[in-house]
Amino acid sequence: MTRYLSLYWLFLTQRLKALMEYRVNFIIGAASTIFLQASSILAIWVVMQKVPTLNGWNYDEILLVYGLITLAKSINHMFADNLWTLGRVYIRSGGFDRFLVRPIDPLFHLLADRFCQDGVGNFLVGVALVVKSSLALAIAWTPLKVLLLLVAVISGGFIFIALNLLTCTAAFWIVDSVPVTRLVFDNHLFAQYPLSIYPKAIGILLTWVVPYGLASFYPAAFLLDRELGWLAWLAPLAAALLLYLGYRFFQFGLRHYSGTGT
Amino acid sequence: MIRRLLREPGKYLAILGMVPKVFMAYQIWFWVSLVLGTIAMAILYFFWRAVYGGTQAIAGLTLNTTLTYILLAQVFRPLTDIDLIFDFGYNLREGGIIHQLLRPINFQGMYYAQSLGFLGMQMVLQIPIALVATFVFGLTWPTDLRVWAAFLVSALLGFTALFFFVYCVACLTFYTTEVWGLGVLFFGMSLFLSGGLVPLAMMPDWLRTVVLAIPFSQALAVPLNILTGITPLDQVHQIWLTQALWVLGLWLASNLIFRVAIRKVTVQGG
Repeated sequence: MTRYLSLYWLFLTQRLKALMEYRVNFIIGAASTIFLQASSILAIWVVMQKVPTLNGWNYDEILLVYGLITLAKSINHMFADNLWTLGRVYIRSGGFDRFLVRPIDPLFHLLADRFCQDGVGNFLVGVALVVKSSLALAIAWTPLKVLLLLVAVISGGFIFIALNLLTCTAAFWIVDSVPVTRLVFDNHLFAQYPLSIYPKAIGILLTWVVPYGLASFYPAAFLLDRELGWLAWLAPLAAALLLYLGYRFFQFGLRHYSGTGT
Repeated sequence: MIRRLLREPGKYLAILGMVPKVFMAYQIWFWVSLVLGTIAMAILYFFWRAVYGGTQAIAGLTLNTTLTYILLAQVFRPLTDIDLIFDFGYNLREGGIIHQLLRPINFQGMYYAQSLGFLGMQMVLQIPIALVATFVFGLTWPTDLRVWAAFLVSALLGFTALFFFVYCVACLTFYTTEVWGLGVLFFGMSLFLSGGLVPLAMMPDWLRTVVLAIPFSQALAVPLNILTGITPLDQVHQIWLTQALWVLGLWLASNLIFRVAIRKVTVQGG
């Protein structure tokens, strides 16, 4: 474990050195995600000027939901973005074989190979939204709520990573796994808003099947002392289960991997 | 012998098996984008229903009008989808731009024709999305032919104005040579500025003024306002005129900028 941590540190510092060679690109990359988020947030702001609540959730409460999912997403974006490119960049070119001959876990190598700077923009947006909304809502930060916030963001990040891991493994058979990953990943967009605005079926999907809701709606409900907030404590369990499944599936895919011949 | 007989067909079966794999790679994106489009529409649909929860009308728009507007914005999204920035950047990097500049046809005209063709193709590919909007989310299509005619003219004018605007920005790549960030930044802004997320009527005055002053809205929000009846037909001529002025102004600007920027072209390879 400590070996992997120090290895990750080495990979990260090398990557940052490379990124710092092109400073302007680094900043534009990080800023680009901020602009993307600004579009949606501006839209919410305009609408919430016109109506007091969205299904009983006011402007700041919605920002809290939005901020929490953005924070969880940013963890995945910064540290596990390479899962997207497994097929396109590594398997198609044969570069993945390089990982197989090294004395470390190939999955670890894949993840450590590229820290993604664009995720920093999402992280900053998420922090800003959570701070802004919790100040406006005067959330009383009891130790339990602070703990839940940490648990929610970290397990939320791992839920994103685990679902991407499960779907990106398709690359071992079909090479380009991006469409499969997108199919699952895009469901997180539902969780940018309170799940109560959707029909029951979508709520169930986002809680029990692709549990992005555990990273946004339920922790927000807990922090605001609303009903169903206790479900937020399921997030670490869901994350652990999905990670276990994802890792096993990745190992299974790895055994079926035969390269593309390039 | 028997072994060989068994192995021989195996090889050919493998080749046979490759065909659906290659075919699937293209097919899969068709179906996946349909699902992604449906997810995007579902979120907007339920979001707006919740917004209207207890209200009859917001800024003079009923739930029905707003939903029609938002769903049509999803269907007609290709109107704001002009990939010129990436095209310019790619051709600069690969050096192809030299050959294009030497051809005995108008450089800008060539890109305009290409963008128009791309728009036509994109709209055909939007047909499944339109079907989902109609049969899943209950989009009601306008039936008045005069409204459609007015919309089409306005959409074409707005698209042309936006083309010249994007052309101006794409000329910046001659200076920066950085393309990816510029493109993403542009895309991020276009989402809101096109008016596809929120009808312009709901925006505070100052924001609407800003949005109308940037040509994204000319290509989507302005024509959609006509199609959904938010803008009455008797104002159409005035809108066409404004859009025509946009086209003229941005055409002049784009040619001016191009003339200055082209001196900066440094091909990086090719």
